[in-house]
Amino acid sequence: MSKIGVFICHCGENISATVDVVRVAEAAGKLEGVEFSTDYKYMCSDPGQTLIKQMIKEKGLTGVIVAACSPRMHEPTFRKACSSAGLNPYMCEMSNLREHCSWVHDKSEATTQKAIDLVRTLVGKVKYNKPLYSIKVPVTKTALVIGGGIAGIQSSLDIANAGHQVVLVEKDPSIGGHMSQLSETFPTLDCSQCILTPRMVEVAQHPNIKLLTYAELEKLEGFIGNFKATIRKKAKSIDEDLCTGCGTCITKCPTKKIPSEFNTGLGKRTAIYVPFPQAVPNKPVIDKENCLYYKNGKCKICEKVCPTGAIRFDQEDELVELEVGAVVVATGFDVMEPSKFSEYGYGKYKDVITGLQFERLASASGPTLGEIRRPSDGKIPEKIVFVACAGSRDPSKGKPYCSKICCMYTAKHAMLYQHKVHHGESTIFYMDIRSAGKNYEEFVRRAIVEDDVKYIRGRVSKVYEENGKLIVKGVDTLLNAKPVEIQADMVVLATAAVANSGAEELAQKMHISYDAYNFFSEAHPKLKPVETNTAGIFLAGACQAPKDIPETVSQASGAAAKVAILFSQDELSREPVVAVVNRSAPPLYSTCVGCFMCATACPYQAIGEELITNRKGEVIKRVAKVNPGLCQGCGTCVAFCRSKSIDIDGYSNEQMYSEVMALLND
Amino acid sequence: MKELIQKAASLLETNVVQVVIGYGKGSADRTRAIFSTTAADCEQLIFDSRCIQNLAVYLTKAEIKKMGKPAIVAPLPVLRSILQLAAENQITDDSLVVLGVSPESELIEFESLAAIETYLATKQIAIEEKYQTTIKAIKAMPVSERFAYWVKELEPCFKCYACRAACPLCYCTRCTVENNQPQWISVASHSLGNLEWHIMRAMHLAGRCTDCEACYNACPMGIPIYLLTKSMLQDVSENFGTYGPSLHRDNTLSSFNPDDKESFIR
Repeated sequence: MSKIGVFICHCGENISATVDVVRVAEAAGKLEGVEFSTDYKYMCSDPGQTLIKQMIKEKGLTGVIVAACSPRMHEPTFRKACSSAGLNPYMCEMSNLREHCSWVHDKSEATTQKAIDLVRTLVGKVKYNKPLYSIKVPVTKTALVIGGGIAGIQSSLDIANAGHQVVLVEKDPSIGGHMSQLSETFPTLDCSQCILTPRMVEVAQHPNIKLLTYAELEKLEGFIGNFKATIRKKAKSIDEDLCTGCGTCITKCPTKKIPSEFNTGLGKRTAIYVPFPQAVPNKPVIDKENCLYYKNGKCKICEKVCPTGAIRFDQEDELVELEVGAVVVATGFDVMEPSKFSEYGYGKYKDVITGLQFERLASASGPTLGEIRRPSDGKIPEKIVFVACAGSRDPSKGKPYCSKICCMYTAKHAMLYQHKVHHGESTIFYMDIRSAGKNYEEFVRRAIVEDDVKYIRGRVSKVYEENGKLIVKGVDTLLNAKPVEIQADMVVLATAAVANSGAEELAQKMHISYDAYNFFSEAHPKLKPVETNTAGIFLAGACQAPKDIPETVSQASGAAAKVAILFSQDELSREPVVAVVNRSAPPLYSTCVGCFMCATACPYQAIGEELITNRKGEVIKRVAKVNPGLCQGCGTCVAFCRSKSIDIDGYSNEQMYSEVMALLND
Repeated sequence: MKELIQKAASLLETNVVQVVIGYGKGSADRTRAIFSTTAADCEQLIFDSRCIQNLAVYLTKAEIKKMGKPAIVAPLPVLRSILQLAAENQITDDSLVVLGVSPESELIEFESLAAIETYLATKQIAIEEKYQTTIKAIKAMPVSERFAYWVKELEPCFKCYACRAACPLCYCTRCTVENNQPQWISVASHSLGNLEWHIMRAMHLAGRCTDCEACYNACPMGIPIYLLTKSMLQDVSENFGTYGPSLHRDNTLSSFNPDDKESFIR
């Protein structure tokens, strides 16, 4: 027979102002199985908790119901209190009288009646509660960081400096990401590479970091603390141990006209190449698609000239299996393919370029060695028009969101241009200037006041070429929508930041959720910004949403801290609210018939098989088995099982039925 | 069906299988399932238009499993059930020999379950027009009228569970209706109990039923329960694309496909 204690909380006045708490306590006291019931001003206060502990001891309570706020708030508080009084914490449940009742209804008889109903249904459930014990899972203290941009670099360094092993996987031949492509950074105008490359070198030299470049995640299995990752190391066609990075092969490679990805197509590279001079590792890879030998079977010049004999044409992709305890996803972003903007003439006119291309033009390591020269004829442009929100905040282009970084980098671009071309004229068409951030607004002001950048509030309707000039037609909405026409030498589009093309596939491989724009979803927009819905997988940087460098670095360190917290324990304790496949007496052993439909329905890949054997080790039956380390207790399998052979501990069919019946049988 | 008898007999003689599940003469003009364990037994095998029972139902029965590896006479509906059973991990390539019978009554030997899938790809399940019309008419009824229709149709049911016994996909060792802790589905054969039972059965077959009509053929009261499963089949097909058992396609109702229309939640 149950001896349940019911504690009705006033929550100050939050509940008692609309619910007659004294009557709820009285009604609860009359229910079958309830030994004791009372109301109290603040159950979560120290005296409130002491009252629960005292009653457990005095009345020998076998179950506790605290009817108060949401269990999200105080369930751990009350379960701990019960536990310290010797009651299994899972015998304690909360009825949400605040969010589910007092906050959403006016003071009335019906409101009090609803509160009574809520308590009564939970009494029905708690009668069937059983003691549960937390699940222990071991932790592999190695982190996998996917993506070697500034986010991945920062996360890797932080985790490695906390004393844990890190495997950093980068799909390109070098780490560095988009930050390595930038010229200067706002709002300080310090050189991007100058601040980034020391970090890149630190990654390469760190004893706790294993760097896998030109590699991608192939498969991720397992669960928090115990992931198994398969990494595809793409064939670089060189022996990295022998290669000294002397670069002779690069100078001799006859295929020299491949558009350089690093220089956003504005420069050229060879088929055997290092993406940029400060690359880490500074060893070349052969681009199989463009290499003459791979295409025609002839050439091999690099092999002939290599002083250490490091070229390996027969190298194949290699699959590496890694055991890791946590994953940080830092795969970054891409810029929107601007060919969508036929009105701006991108792709049609060589001198209409993207912001990222402008970064390369302004960069000392870029194709023009830092001089702003237009791509068509190499002349220094006298007039540049910058178009902000090219794609962003534009539902018709499918990107209703603000890309966040464009206002700032456009101001920076105009500023850099003014610094380099003193007589030049720069005009920015903008929708709003969004410069929230430390020293950001001051930076934009500086562009306007000190560097004479002209800001026109309005959109550009069309860009076309006439007599060697790019005619930019727009509107100035601050001047009664006056049409504006500018004859420019170059147009720079601040194209929207978008998710990487492979983001969706990667998310599916890892079983993490993503939003409508393929940015990865955080577990909670405010309180869990670096966690994903899959325990043990964390997010850093622009793969979650467009971000600037300071924000990316902060989030990367945040993700690293989460990993370090996870790795600070040898074992993980997990809520025992997991699905369990039943066992029954012979000859059935379990009512599970092994159709494994549950496994197809499980969103967490938590269901495998188990062979029930007799004492001789002979297989009697093949049934489903839920891995408690992976199971998130969602209950999909329970609903899907036709023979009702699966139950969730803490939310069993018996408990649910009793709860529903308590509600119906008033 | 000399060919069938010869093949069945040789399978038993060479001990490739230990039992042949096939059709034999029943009482009056009916046929029934027979289980041949010797070559001589096979002489009783028949196959004609009266053979409408779905023999696949025996593949999962413990009593039959005990007899050893079976060969099974399999016209189209049985083939479909076999494929669905395979998709549900109840049978494997090694666990049986399939003696397929084409609609033209020719013996077809299948190398593997995958071969059955290839064969069935040309024989898609199609719901006859007359049933489609009935289903449409029922769906067009106002809710109260539809409810009354089903209460009336299901009224004769006395819960003999013949529909369940005849269905090759009702192979659970403990049916939900027999789960009494808690008793979600009422066992009584009053209106509510009957509704609960038939709704539950239809839901459990959603996305799985291969439209063999064995349940209807078994029903002693002639209740048109096939309308429920056929309607469900139509819904699944309309909402999730082509329907039919498959070894490689994910189970319809538990898997996600980016192309799903999902019109029901939009």
